[in-house]
Amino acid sequence: MPEPAELALVIDDLTVAYDQKPAIWDIDLEVPQGALMAIVGPNGAGKSTLIKAALNLIPRAAGSVLFHGKPYEAARHLVGYVPQRGSVDWDFPTSVLDVVTMGLYGKLGWLRRPGRRERAQALAALEQVGLLDYAGRQISQLSGGQQQRTFLARALVQDAQIYFMDEPFAAVDATTEAAIVNILRELNKRGRTVLVVHHDLQTVPEYFDWLTLLNVEVVASGPTCQVFTLDNLQKTYGGRVTSLHGGQVLAAGG
Amino acid sequence: MAERRVWAMIAALLALGVLLVPLSQALFGLRLTYTVRVVALGGSLLGALSGAVGCFAVLRRESLLGDALSHAALPGVAVGFLLAGRQLGALLVGAGIASWLGLRLVAAILRTTRIKQDAALGIVLASFFAAGIALLTYIQSLPEASQAGLDSFIFGQAAAIIASDIALLGAVGLAVTLVLALLWKEFKLITFDAEFASAGGLRGGLIDALLSTLIVVTIVLGLQLAGVILMVGMLIAPAIAARQWTHSLEQMVVLAAALGAFAGGSGAVISALDSDIPTGPMIIVVAFALVALSITLAPGRGVLWRQLRQRENRRHFRSRRLETGA
Amino acid sequence: MMGLERALIELLLRFVTHDALNAFLRSPQHTASLVGCLIAICGALLGTFLLLRGLSLTSDAISHTVLLGIVLAFMLMTGAGLEGDTSSPWLIVGAAAAGVGTVVLTETLHRSGLVRQDAALGLAFPLLFAIAVILVSRFVDDVHLDDDAVLVGEIGLAWANTNSHCFEHCESLRITPEHPAAQQMRQCVNCRELTISPRDERAEFREVCGNCGVYTPAQAWSAGLLDEAPTLVFFPKSITVMLVLTALTVGFVAVFYKELKLTTFDAALAKSLGFRPAALTYALMILVSLVAVGAFDAVGSILVIAFFIIPPAAAYLLTDRLSGMLLLSPVIGGAGAFFGYDLARGWLFGMLPVAEGIAALNAIFGLQLREAWDSSISASVVLTMFVLFVLVWILSPRYGLVVSAVRRANSRRRFDDQVVLAHIHNHQGTPSHAIELRAATLHQHFRWTPQKMNRVLMRLRALGFVSQEAGSAILTQRGDAHVHAFRKQLLVAHNIPDIDPTQP
Repeated sequence: MPEPAELALVIDDLTVAYDQKPAIWDIDLEVPQGALMAIVGPNGAGKSTLIKAALNLIPRAAGSVLFHGKPYEAARHLVGYVPQRGSVDWDFPTSVLDVVTMGLYGKLGWLRRPGRRERAQALAALEQVGLLDYAGRQISQLSGGQQQRTFLARALVQDAQIYFMDEPFAAVDATTEAAIVNILRELNKRGRTVLVVHHDLQTVPEYFDWLTLLNVEVVASGPTCQVFTLDNLQKTYGGRVTSLHGGQVLAAGG
Repeated sequence: MAERRVWAMIAALLALGVLLVPLSQALFGLRLTYTVRVVALGGSLLGALSGAVGCFAVLRRESLLGDALSHAALPGVAVGFLLAGRQLGALLVGAGIASWLGLRLVAAILRTTRIKQDAALGIVLASFFAAGIALLTYIQSLPEASQAGLDSFIFGQAAAIIASDIALLGAVGLAVTLVLALLWKEFKLITFDAEFASAGGLRGGLIDALLSTLIVVTIVLGLQLAGVILMVGMLIAPAIAARQWTHSLEQMVVLAAALGAFAGGSGAVISALDSDIPTGPMIIVVAFALVALSITLAPGRGVLWRQLRQRENRRHFRSRRLETGA
Repeated sequence: MMGLERALIELLLRFVTHDALNAFLRSPQHTASLVGCLIAICGALLGTFLLLRGLSLTSDAISHTVLLGIVLAFMLMTGAGLEGDTSSPWLIVGAAAAGVGTVVLTETLHRSGLVRQDAALGLAFPLLFAIAVILVSRFVDDVHLDDDAVLVGEIGLAWANTNSHCFEHCESLRITPEHPAAQQMRQCVNCRELTISPRDERAEFREVCGNCGVYTPAQAWSAGLLDEAPTLVFFPKSITVMLVLTALTVGFVAVFYKELKLTTFDAALAKSLGFRPAALTYALMILVSLVAVGAFDAVGSILVIAFFIIPPAAAYLLTDRLSGMLLLSPVIGGAGAFFGYDLARGWLFGMLPVAEGIAALNAIFGLQLREAWDSSISASVVLTMFVLFVLVWILSPRYGLVVSAVRRANSRRRFDDQVVLAHIHNHQGTPSHAIELRAATLHQHFRWTPQKMNRVLMRLRALGFVSQEAGSAILTQRGDAHVHAFRKQLLVAHNIPDIDPTQP
């Protein structure tokens, strides 16, 4: 068992309930620093709920979450967040550069306004996701994939230690998928911890080195090579895995 | 490019606003009395204020919340009168409290029942308004009271505006501008992506409450001029018109303020042409005319513009098909 | 309309005498309550579908626009020399068209893609209302269309606006100069012209008949020209109008119940099955407009929206079935209309006197408010509906605040139990057993207070789910079975077969 100091995220007995029905139930999770982790599970398994509860966006019924040993209030600056793309109004009158700059608002604090330095940081993040040419664009003119990369750039400027990403791969084009993967690897190389809610089982072993299988409870969590087994997937998805993704998953797991 | 165009437009509107009174005197031979000038000034101040604040209401998809809140203010006016008599301060404070209670009630219904937003707004709007009407009818039955003028909060009565009201509007307008400027990035973030704002450590609830307070204050100040029924038009029409011309929130808010000021001022002047034309409704008609103009003409987004582009595309497509065919 | 009214009265006269009927209808309270109940029934039935479709505020927009329709039609009618009457059928048709026009206008604004639905509504109705107000104050000078009528209507006066129907001794009377009752008078024909008094010698006279003309039976009787009283019934126009609208509404809902249900629940499915959701929506909107016009005289153009929104919202908190809502919401609306009249006269639900409330306020705050309460009837009806809504909101056996609070407290207790049981179950027999399950520090894992932890543990021990072994909490066999049963329940809820990851 790793020493607590090496753990980027420790979730202890976390339970969240909607209408008194548990959405996630007594979750224990330890994520070592530098892990690139996928959170995988069927619809309604509580994946987004887990992220939102960790970030204090929804109330917890019980349990605690520590980021590098600190509770959320003391660790805000360590945390970066990429919400689901559909959660905002993309017809909002603002430019791509502006949205990315929003990632720095938390650091700026009350009353201070973004200046030259913040602009440079935002432009650098846009270059990283390949959207530099789009900096002045109105956000409604972006494609779905470009919107996703804008959100990613906004998280990048936060320069966080732990990133939480809610379905960044949902309905994006191949270019964007490649760009996101590159950035995930880059973050991984720099020793950042990344948690990604993910849907596509095929790509799990290729993209992620750490995996948590979730179905209201944690079914299994650990290095992908150990956790990504047919047995575990069947426990998570209830035996439907073979019929849906049989060949590939078997090949990957075996 | 687009940026400069919008700033030019704002400047033109402001110039037009300043010149409005002398111009209409020169061109139409209008004799604008002191009263009319005061009303026009009040109209523009209120238009500017509600235009700027209204942008946030529209972008947060709370256009109709403004309607419910303005109706909800009415019983507060009546209670203020019953407690303190006809003092504008008491009436406005009462209106503000009632409006705020309405806001809380909508939130409570949404939180504890499965009733959706539209019905919750309707419930609060209708019942608060009914309470206001019931109280006003009761007040009318009081023998000693000089209740004249309370009705004006329903339809608005611009003629009742006096110089001290202008000072109040100006002071509040200044305060609101200051709050907007200081908390600009917080308001912007909470309006665009409330979840990210909270995750990033912003006090979401506090900012939200502040923004709602700004909207309530604006509505309460506008009641005297526009009345509870039409206030929602003052709040959202300039914002919707401004949205068509620009893609930046900064410009949208400033332009909405300019458009609102223009509608308020010119509506007041037009209504001075004929003693039977009420000011509040006239301002709303002018504001809507601005919306109609913006929706059809705004470059890039407007209906006319898009149709032109569609035709262009079709012609382009046809000629290319001919080329490949040949 | 008159024929229908007459047929209805003939039916009624089989059961009651015309004197009793007149006496009943002449009471402002009876007529007001009846009209109010009919509006409430129409509003509640239509409002139920609006609520379920998320269109409640469309009734707000329509009721405002209908005012514009009424004003325009009114101006046209007076312009054509007709008597302006807000219950004329032509006016109703015109105003209904205006109401539908609003829906079309907001739809067009919305479809342009430039303005959102709520903003489109918020734009359309202040504009149309503003135009109506301008027209009223600029061109219309009539008692039926002043500000007050627009706001609150005159339901208290509904009894006075009647059609008279005669059933016996109905000869209309023509008084000619030869008639014995004719009153002959001398009138000066050139006095005004010459500005002289009739006494002046230049004055010329002619004989005129002072009371000649045609008399309806009612007029003849009241002028004392008849020996025998005609049997007359004075029937309030609003009752007829609202009865017709109620029949239309009930008929519409009854005939198209299945289609309305389907299109409300799933418009796309309905379309694929060959129904026309758009046509039904417009039919619904036409009826909403008609009811708004019909109710305009009684409750004005703003308060009417309460009849569409509040009763269905209350019913929505009482039942889960569409049929239940359609039965309950008219009852709630009707009760509001019935008790609302009492409230206007100072009695809440006929029991609690408002005056005492005011007296109490005066006593507590040292105010000097008049204690006699006499207020607008239509506003009081709306307030009564709101009070009913709040009562339902608090007390509803299904979704009420009280029941929810009790249920929440209960399930929170059960839920706490499950959290602890799951925790013990997950750690029992694992290497971290000793740390995670030590009874003395167990509360730290949940971020609970030791007191709460003790309460929960005590309960679990009493239930025989948990016992203590070497300072650690462990599950009993019964507790283990319970956890498995609960997990089964949980996973079934997510539609996934029962697989226990902790089982080998």
